[in-house]
Amino acid sequence: MKMGTSITRFSLNRPWLVTGLMIAFTLSLALLATLPTIWPHTFKGLNPLKVDTDPENMLPEDEPVRIFHNSMKKEMALYDMLVVGIVNESNPDGVFNPQSLRNIYELTEYAKSLHWSDKENPDKEIGVIEIDLIAPSTVDNIEQGGLGSVRFEWLMASPPTTKEQALAIRKKAQRIPFLNGTLISEDGKAICLYLPLTSKDISYKIYSKLQEKIDTLSGNEQYYITGLPVAEDTFGVEMFKQMAISAPLAMLIIFLLLFFFFRKLIVIVSPMIVAMVSVICTMGLLIITGNTVHIMSSMIPIFIMPIAVLDAVHILSDFFDRYQETKDQEKTVIKVMETLFTPMLYTSLTTAVGFASLALTPIPPVQIFGLFIAFGVMIAWAFTVTFIPAFIMFIPKKSLENFGTFADKNKNESQSILTRFLTLLGRLTFKRAKLVMGITGVFVVIAVYGISQIKINDNPIKWFNPTHPIRIADKVLNEHFGGTYMGYLAFQAQTSKDLPKYADELSKQIDKAANSLKSELPAVPAVFEALKSQTTYIIKSVSSKKELLQQLAAFADKRIQKATMQEYDAWDEAILFLDRQRQADEVFKQPQVLNYIAGVQKRLLTTGVVGKSNSLADIVKTVYRELLQGDPQNFKIPDTVNAVAQCLMTYQNSHRPQDLWHFVTPDYTKTVLWVQLKSGDNMDMAKVVKAMDEYIAANPPPVNLKHQWFGLTYINVVWQNKMVTGMLEAFLESFLIVLLMMIILYRSALWGILSMIPLTVTIGLIYGFIGLVGKDYDMPVAVLSSLSLGLAVDYAIHFLSRARQLREGFNSWAETAAPVFGEPARAIARNVIVIGVGFLPLLAAPLVPYQTVGVFIAAILLTAGIASLLILPSMITILEKWLFPKTKKASLTCNCTTCFVIAALAAALVAMNIHDFFGVGWNKLTWFGLMAVIVFVIACNMASGRKKCKTEAMMDS
Amino acid sequence: MIRKKGFFRLILIALILNLHPHLLQAAELSVDEIVDKTNRVSYYQGKDGRARVLMSIKDSQERIRRRNFTILRSDEPPAVALKAKDDQYCADQKLYVYFNRPADVNKMVFMVLKHVDKDDDRWLYLPALDLVKRIAASDKRTSFVGSDFFYEDVSGRNISEDHHKLVETTKNYYVLKNTPKDPESVEFSYFKMWVHRKSFITVKTEYYDKQDKKYRIYEALKVDTIQGYPTVTKDRMRDLRTKSETAKEYSEVKYNIGLPDNIFTERYLRRAPMKYLR
Repeated sequence: MKMGTSITRFSLNRPWLVTGLMIAFTLSLALLATLPTIWPHTFKGLNPLKVDTDPENMLPEDEPVRIFHNSMKKEMALYDMLVVGIVNESNPDGVFNPQSLRNIYELTEYAKSLHWSDKENPDKEIGVIEIDLIAPSTVDNIEQGGLGSVRFEWLMASPPTTKEQALAIRKKAQRIPFLNGTLISEDGKAICLYLPLTSKDISYKIYSKLQEKIDTLSGNEQYYITGLPVAEDTFGVEMFKQMAISAPLAMLIIFLLLFFFFRKLIVIVSPMIVAMVSVICTMGLLIITGNTVHIMSSMIPIFIMPIAVLDAVHILSDFFDRYQETKDQEKTVIKVMETLFTPMLYTSLTTAVGFASLALTPIPPVQIFGLFIAFGVMIAWAFTVTFIPAFIMFIPKKSLENFGTFADKNKNESQSILTRFLTLLGRLTFKRAKLVMGITGVFVVIAVYGISQIKINDNPIKWFNPTHPIRIADKVLNEHFGGTYMGYLAFQAQTSKDLPKYADELSKQIDKAANSLKSELPAVPAVFEALKSQTTYIIKSVSSKKELLQQLAAFADKRIQKATMQEYDAWDEAILFLDRQRQADEVFKQPQVLNYIAGVQKRLLTTGVVGKSNSLADIVKTVYRELLQGDPQNFKIPDTVNAVAQCLMTYQNSHRPQDLWHFVTPDYTKTVLWVQLKSGDNMDMAKVVKAMDEYIAANPPPVNLKHQWFGLTYINVVWQNKMVTGMLEAFLESFLIVLLMMIILYRSALWGILSMIPLTVTIGLIYGFIGLVGKDYDMPVAVLSSLSLGLAVDYAIHFLSRARQLREGFNSWAETAAPVFGEPARAIARNVIVIGVGFLPLLAAPLVPYQTVGVFIAAILLTAGIASLLILPSMITILEKWLFPKTKKASLTCNCTTCFVIAALAAALVAMNIHDFFGVGWNKLTWFGLMAVIVFVIACNMASGRKKCKTEAMMDS
Repeated sequence: MIRKKGFFRLILIALILNLHPHLLQAAELSVDEIVDKTNRVSYYQGKDGRARVLMSIKDSQERIRRRNFTILRSDEPPAVALKAKDDQYCADQKLYVYFNRPADVNKMVFMVLKHVDKDDDRWLYLPALDLVKRIAASDKRTSFVGSDFFYEDVSGRNISEDHHKLVETTKNYYVLKNTPKDPESVEFSYFKMWVHRKSFITVKTEYYDKQDKKYRIYEALKVDTIQGYPTVTKDRMRDLRTKSETAKEYSEVKYNIGLPDNIFTERYLRRAPMKYLR
């Protein structure tokens, strides 16, 4: 209490100094952040503002799934794609009419030109990757070209001029599995262009340029642009608009509500200043320290504002109620701060702890988010306890004349309504305490059921409103096509590393080959024998199968140079034999493996989420069919490895041979299935992953293959899983810390636990509600658990602290209840209304995560407020004799139970941290914990049994 | 750095070619004459010929794929033997490409009957499917077996399809700019050739796209004189967009081997004339 008073006195005596320091501190942080952002070259040493909207960064760079994703993307030359859909609803042939196709051609030509050299790295081109663009004019058609011939041609070399030509293009594309459902819709009405991008962060730029071009095209086609990269990049752009509109709007509403309650402009300016300054300091520090403004960190201002205003509202509310008693600013402030300093310190600390615990999640942006909010909360606290008293001193006495409860008594109807309502509530909790608790119990049961119904899901496209062009595009295109969300399923051949075993095998193969050839070529036995002895000779000096075969091939190449006419053919056969051995590892040319892949594709289609998949098997089947008169019966994998290889060689005579390497590596040891999902919901992707794991386990591949997913849609699933478990752990840990703090604050385990009940009920109800209404448990919802923890406990702290203070002046709770439901309850109610309503403007936001945050902040505050005002007094009524025992003021260590609970909590926290940071398993920790508990029981028993405690107790009684 | 290296190579090849004793200093030549001579040197030396080719395709990730094949070539005598002052015929031509390796495409054959006044006939023989397939003429600028060379680079682009312009004459080179007569039929807007003034060997060709950006480069890397003919024995095509490149190395090059006409028929696709391929 002493520290509180001296801080208040200091601020009251030197208001100018306090204000000046605050302004200087804020300005310097703001300048350090803005200067390098505006003039990056002048201030090279400082960090400019960096924006990052990439959900990939939800996982650390070195996360295995990201490493795999990036290496496969590079190896298969796969890029993030922007999808442009063109639909024509007015023409019976859809877009397959000369006019629409001409527009599509023109748009494609324009898209091809959308690349430029990188400013930072002039040798590098960025933009659309022209060679991999998928459009009617850039893909090949393979088909029968008349009797006994096969034809490769551009699907649409130039726009058609007649209806028949336009329809012919559709017919051709529908025959090619790779194009049907991908380039053209299954109903033959729409076309999708796929624009691969050098990097995701240029999507919005390309998106805007395409929109400009589309506006110049005449015709009755509709254009839709979508794809995960554009959603993510557009989110970044809109995020800033959002921050510029919603945050100030929320400020404005809070301001108006404060004005409604306190009716003094000059008084309510101060909480606004505190909120603003706290936001500036936190965001400034975020930028200065080189952290990026991510989807998460962009929400920092919205989270800090209510918390920053919260404490100030308590002070003002109290000041408002008490000022008319003395009409002395200084005295009133000192009195107000005496009662409020400790609760405010604790509420701020608990809020900070709640957020700081997010640092324990394995998701870097969430860690940053948590830590900086914790910082912001403490900054807000510091400014509240120093600047608000200082500010009150600046107010001329004259303008406070008709300020406060007494002056308002007759005028303010609503105020008295609130007061009357609260008085009623107070009586209810006293007279019907058991009923209140019974109803609470019913709610809790419903909530628990709701929580069990929670659906964990997220989808970056759904971050936009249903009316946003990206959402509409997503909906329309996924109705027409196999799906615009791409997931990739990689298969990798696992070859044996046992070299001596392979050498044995090779020798046997040499004998076998020699036997089958010797009747034809008499020189074969001698030549193959030479090969065999060379194998045994070099086997010790080579380290891999590849090296062995390479050296043998080099040996044979040397020998054929000097070979006689008779030997030449035999050596030629030997070289051919060795090459065949080398190719034996090219497993994805083997018919049974390709048929297996085709089986996997078939299973994918039955998941209900996958609209289509593309694979190497499809390419082989298509080429084979067209080589055999285009007969649909021949749409299958040919019977031999060589036949597959020759189909693939034929395929490479097209305009785009490089397309093959998007599906398989040139050594044919890795293949990738392009899986088109109709939904980007993590839940749906997870469903596909699970189904395929089960399928592959039940149907093992013919050779040893390892399967693994990658692609943005899959990465989202991985970080979401991490987030859910991470958040739960962080929440449990912060819950324990806050409980520990509460016990220490109240010097009692019972009081500590009591203060945690409203927040537990609040969180239960909120998440139960989420489960019941079927709202997805996504990123913002997960993060809100820390916010509810931090905020809900605040009301309990304020309520219980005041209740205890007031109880000292009375003999029983019956007498205390009425005053508690006076000024203290009013402060809580005002808080709930101001901040809860203040965040409702977020509902108007075009970005869904912000809407979620807005709704839930309001809901959490309301629930927490009601829960605190109902549950706490009811429980105090029921538990009065334990909460206010006759023997008071025994020291903390004298209360055996409290001492034990503190020790056990501390032990649990230590165990959780050891588990998190040192990876020690729970099994070991459980034993360790059990041991610790026994030790604590003994220690606590001894401590509370000591002489000093007994004498204290005796004296009290 | 890379540019400099290319420049030195140009000079080096120029020096080698200049030392060639059989080549006479050409007098003032018209563009058509230069184009004509270049075409002969590139595709029509000797009456016929054969070569083993090792083709290495290196993609942007430095992954290398190899193809090993033997090419047989035979020129048709022109209908009117007026222009044929030497043993060179610049008319129809036959090509037989026999694949040795990779093993799984062994015995695959690609055959071309190249016509000056009409579309070429192309054939493909796939031994594993025992299938002879004609490749329908659509356009010739498709990949040759997955390499960075187009089919047309291997068989030769018909000189009548472009407008030719001599844009520069340096000490060693004629620089020709060739613009297609039918721009719709090709992906380039023009290509520039550096033709050695004495040997008429095309040392470098650069292709420019519709945005006037260079995207494809051919370079002769090694020239040998074989049976009196200056012959490119190593060359390379680079695609600047895919960052892939294909090198061809020629060995066992022989001219005027007396290839019989009948081996360039469908019958010989299934039964390769091993005698000439070895």
